[in-house]
Amino acid sequence: MPPVAITGMGCICAAGQNLGDCMTSIFSGARAPAPPVRFKSNHPIRYPVFEVPGFPEDPAMLRTSALGLHAVREALSDAGLDRQTLAPLRVGVCVGTTIGCAMSNETFCRQAHAGANPDMAPIVQIQRSNPAAVIAREFGLSGPCQTVVNACSSGTDAVAVAASWIRSGLCDVAIAGGADELARITYIGFIALMITDDSPCKPFDRNRKGLNLGEGAGMLVLESESVRARRNRKARAFVLGYGSACDAHHLTAPHPDGAGLRRAIAEGFSTAGVSASDLAFVNAHGTGTPENDKVESRVLREMLPGVPYLSTKGYTGHTLGAAGAIEAVFTAACLERGEIPGNAGFSTPDPDLIATPVREVTKVAGTIALSESLAFGGNNAALILGRGETP
Amino acid sequence: MIGRDSRIVIGGVGVAGGFGCGVAALEQALRGGEVRPGRMTLPMPDGPVEIPAFMSDTTPLKDFIPLRTLRRVDHFSRLALLGAHLALADAGLPEAERAGLGVVIASGHGATGITFAFQDSFINDGDICASPTHFANSVHNSAAANISILLGATGPSLTVTQFHLSVPSALLAARQWLLEGRVERVLFGAVDELSRLTGHYWHRQHAHFAGIPSPLHTGAETAVPGEGAAFLLLSRAQDADAPGYCTLDSVTVGRKLPPRPLAPPVGLLVLGADGVPETAARYAAAAAGSRIACYTPLYGSMPPGPAFDIASTALALRSGSVFATPGGSSCDFPATVVPGGTPLGPGPAGILTLDDDDGHALVMLGRIRQPA
Repeated sequence: MPPVAITGMGCICAAGQNLGDCMTSIFSGARAPAPPVRFKSNHPIRYPVFEVPGFPEDPAMLRTSALGLHAVREALSDAGLDRQTLAPLRVGVCVGTTIGCAMSNETFCRQAHAGANPDMAPIVQIQRSNPAAVIAREFGLSGPCQTVVNACSSGTDAVAVAASWIRSGLCDVAIAGGADELARITYIGFIALMITDDSPCKPFDRNRKGLNLGEGAGMLVLESESVRARRNRKARAFVLGYGSACDAHHLTAPHPDGAGLRRAIAEGFSTAGVSASDLAFVNAHGTGTPENDKVESRVLREMLPGVPYLSTKGYTGHTLGAAGAIEAVFTAACLERGEIPGNAGFSTPDPDLIATPVREVTKVAGTIALSESLAFGGNNAALILGRGETP
Repeated sequence: MIGRDSRIVIGGVGVAGGFGCGVAALEQALRGGEVRPGRMTLPMPDGPVEIPAFMSDTTPLKDFIPLRTLRRVDHFSRLALLGAHLALADAGLPEAERAGLGVVIASGHGATGITFAFQDSFINDGDICASPTHFANSVHNSAAANISILLGATGPSLTVTQFHLSVPSALLAARQWLLEGRVERVLFGAVDELSRLTGHYWHRQHAHFAGIPSPLHTGAETAVPGEGAAFLLLSRAQDADAPGYCTLDSVTVGRKLPPRPLAPPVGLLVLGADGVPETAARYAAAAAGSRIACYTPLYGSMPPGPAFDIASTALALRSGSVFATPGGSSCDFPATVVPGGTPLGPGPAGILTLDDDDGHALVMLGRIRQPA
């Protein structure tokens, strides 16, 4: 498949409110998960989360969409695009999310449960907050508009969908990524599934107990070669390939052999025309749950022996539908730097895991990297990114 | 790389809605021209309230899946599983060929019933008593997951939500997969349920119209809510005469109305108008001067509606003639409602979907020469 240029990137998460701050933070090793501030829980254990501190609430839309818009503004500015430049172009929007489309307002539910006539405003707000539609509306974009709800691989899948639009000529420019807010419903849900760590998460570590939830958004501007040539714009990175496959095994647990992940990586390699030996590094899904990390490390060891890998969720928490997009942005930014941060939270190798992540900032050789996502529903997605033309 | 010479064929249709279950039930409704809405009961502060609604029965799912297997599967996923199995059976796809299927699902609201039940679980007894099973099933892609698991479909899977444009938006992705050669076949489906939450929303936001919807008369709200699933088995075919209902020629999704006149000119434009006032004027403007039909009075107002429109149009293309628009041959804007039985020409048929947020979508279907 022809490469698709990434000409702008934006990111907001607990590590920082723009990509530059995020990179500074994760390369310093800083992280500070803490019990949630935005909401309360009567659960006896206060599980830590990665919240975006000080991000203002917008009564007109869900926090998810506000986080998405924040990252889009940074990405468009990075790409040198404004409303005027975008106006004559066919611009599509593809955004992954989980909570950003869920008809699940707790206040409404509690009022209904109590026998009252609930206030409809929260439901109307959800109806008006579809993340892709909010972005298209805000910037007056007229191209295809799609919100992907593939659980935790949504952000990765959304970037690939948008790249497909560019390749096939459906769009001149596509804004792609993922956004998700920290919400009580997911906080309580993941605790109920018993895959949440009551201390800072430790991806791939022997003592890992589960994930910490996070929130944020990652957005990328994908651009056709003709528009990029007209604007004389250099690419920060390229989408080289993508693969996805379903385990068809269990709603919430990965296939024990990582069958779907293997097929997704193989398709990613095939579409990019690369092999394992071409990879500089892997940005793994690495949630810190016992099962995910076990399956993922096995696949990495067997399919990509010797390729350095890490999980960045130790810095961001698991941002669900945003995770794949945030990690795609981090992967591209690390290719630019020629180095990757250490895998936060990893200190003790697990004898059951046959591969271990990098512990500290590590120089990487090569121009190609893999960012992968595993998701509820058995979805697996692999995005192959290449270094861009910027110095 | 997209192969422009490949054609995409709709080879199987699986539908379940207020009209009944299966292609034959839909065709019977299209020929009969009328389906009476049922009733949905909602618990409200002043006592139960009944609203007219096109409800869908998933009992026939037992013909495909043992009830024991379904014991933890909620109504939303059951609807989707029923649509999926009906489409595969209609296409005659052998079980051995299901593994490589791509699965693409469109849903405007997701699994709202189980989401509400999940919240009930911790509202009742505290956060520590939240139901993990309800949470796992409340994820928006739960229907796609259940389909993949129960069919053993290990190809790519994608769930899309764009409210009333969910269907064309997801169909665009399915078409891309086929044109790129990612998969040979895509099981495409649209599903939404009428749950306590969505029913409550409808009750509070809409008029309780109890008759047969008449969406081509834009003066008053005549919408009736619906639920159901509409699935299509899509495949690539090099042969212009490949067996199936029709070809899927193009999918256009965007904001603002499509440019007029439509290109290529369509012999029939099927409108997704559903009797909701917010979109009525936009449909009237977009369809002005066209030869139109509208079948939403047979299944009601719901985000999967455009997939039912596609299924209905596919049946018309296969039969070679137009089904009558339920409720009569008139409309109150300048367009021609095509009478039932009118032969369809060789040109494509279009399915137009609009939302109340400037979004539009146009799906073009083409005829396949049927064997003599």
